[in-house]
Amino acid sequence: MQKKDIGLGVLIIVVGAIVYMQNPLFLSPINLGNTANLIGLFGLFAIGQGFVIMTGGIDLSVGSVIALLGVLFVDMVGKFDVAWPIAVAITIGLGVLIGLAHGILITRFRLQPFVVTLCGLLIYRGIARGYTAESTAGFPFGSSYPQLEWLTIGRSFGVPHSFIAMLIVAAVMWVVLHHTVFGRHLCAVGKNEEAARFSGINTRFVTIAAYVICAVLASIAAIYFAMFTKSVQPSSHGNFYELYAIAAAVLGGCSLRGGEGSVIGIVLGAVLLQELQNLVNLLGIPSSLNFAVMGAVILLGVLADQQFAAYRTRRNTERALGLLQKP
Amino acid sequence: MNVLELKNISKRYGAIQALDSVSLAIAPGEVVGLMGDNGAGKSTLVKVIAGNFAPTSGDILISDKKVAFNKPLDAQKAGIEVVYQDLAICNNLSAASNVFLGREPTRRIGPIKVVDYAFMRSKSAELFARLKSETRPRDLVHKMSGGQRQAVAIARTLLSDAKIVLMDEPTAAISVRQVAEVLNLIRQLSDHGIAVVLISHRMPDVFEVADKVVVLRRGELVADKKASQSSPEEITGLITGAIEHA
Repeated sequence: MQKKDIGLGVLIIVVGAIVYMQNPLFLSPINLGNTANLIGLFGLFAIGQGFVIMTGGIDLSVGSVIALLGVLFVDMVGKFDVAWPIAVAITIGLGVLIGLAHGILITRFRLQPFVVTLCGLLIYRGIARGYTAESTAGFPFGSSYPQLEWLTIGRSFGVPHSFIAMLIVAAVMWVVLHHTVFGRHLCAVGKNEEAARFSGINTRFVTIAAYVICAVLASIAAIYFAMFTKSVQPSSHGNFYELYAIAAAVLGGCSLRGGEGSVIGIVLGAVLLQELQNLVNLLGIPSSLNFAVMGAVILLGVLADQQFAAYRTRRNTERALGLLQKP
Repeated sequence: MNVLELKNISKRYGAIQALDSVSLAIAPGEVVGLMGDNGAGKSTLVKVIAGNFAPTSGDILISDKKVAFNKPLDAQKAGIEVVYQDLAICNNLSAASNVFLGREPTRRIGPIKVVDYAFMRSKSAELFARLKSETRPRDLVHKMSGGQRQAVAIARTLLSDAKIVLMDEPTAAISVRQVAEVLNLIRQLSDHGIAVVLISHRMPDVFEVADKVVVLRRGELVADKKASQSSPEEITGLITGAIEHA
């Protein structure tokens, strides 16, 4: 665990304690279960976003991918009676294709990640709305898919399966980032792509892989969101979700300049964001102020982190100087 | 035996003759100072040796065997390493990670291959010790001095069992005190039997470490002589063209 992760954990506990003192319902099993579900849903694609950010890029299309693939998944299962495991495979396959398209446009055609994924944001949302002719995609009345529902919205011992799925993904990605050669190369490419290339690293492959990981996790999240909301409204489903993901990654210590980040941090970032959402609800703050509260807390958190880091360097310098002056 | 021999290497870019029939032989452990004004063809020569592009004509021999490099990796496999001017290292990684960048050792845990951090740290500590550098494997590179960064870059070359190390302006971006450190590293490489080609504008550095000085002017090799038999004044004359040949 890095220092930043511990700081974030402390912030989560402090905010939680304050909310609990104002409203003890915060720690009720129902509230914890619901919040855990949301953490799982948002954490899934925030981890992918973190990988892209570590390459020094950004993926703005995540929310639209969740809407488009959500619509398609619901239609495949509900309308066209595709067996759900096949529908899941197709959805994830589409995620791979979207990620490949982003990665190839960015590495081969040398377009900026911001531009590529901004166009993705518009295109996927547009296709979702055009395909459904703005109508909501939903499952037929009375239909039920027991295994699929158990996997996505089921719970074991009160723990939502979306949360467990996120923990599994996080554990896998933690190993990938911190303990595989690919993870080393990802950090190298994000910080100094040229140096990475001179060292014989296939930088194009690394970058493309990051976008594929991001889109695949977004496609898995799309399935979970579709099952959670049960119907997908193509113009609003997943709106702004890319920004939640970016916020979670940045809170979790990913540098937008690339090369830095930790999976634990990203998960904690997602936890903090959902805790803040929850805080707005529980403390009776008008939900219209939702974004304002979130923005303010993130800003304060990042500011405090920076000030604290500056304080630490100052203290270390003073200590070093003190040692020098002693004979 | 020569570790590297160039025979009549020429390179032209369209109408421009960047290298004109350059011949050069380098012995194991020899330190060669490659000098010349901007645009004299130093970088082109280095890129030809490093396999960035093939010469228009001429032969490259490694240990008396003819070779053809199509890409930098071919040259690397033949034992040629380049330490770039802008230091191809990643600031956000530790010294050990940088030494092993692109060739990380792995060990298996069940079906997955994980990076062997312990081996990386112990091996790079050993390399730094061989270079008599105080660089610590765990330290992040962005907190290091220019000399320590050079040590990291040079440790990379030791790792790959290089025969020849090409250094492009290694003393250009660092402080005077660190220059001594880098020159020391060059001597260490030479003591290990590794030939060093030092491309530099800094006359004193070249004369401090080089066994041999080679001067390029407008793509032509105008001097190839022992440093002890030459002088900075003569080399300056050769670079500017005040002295035709030596």
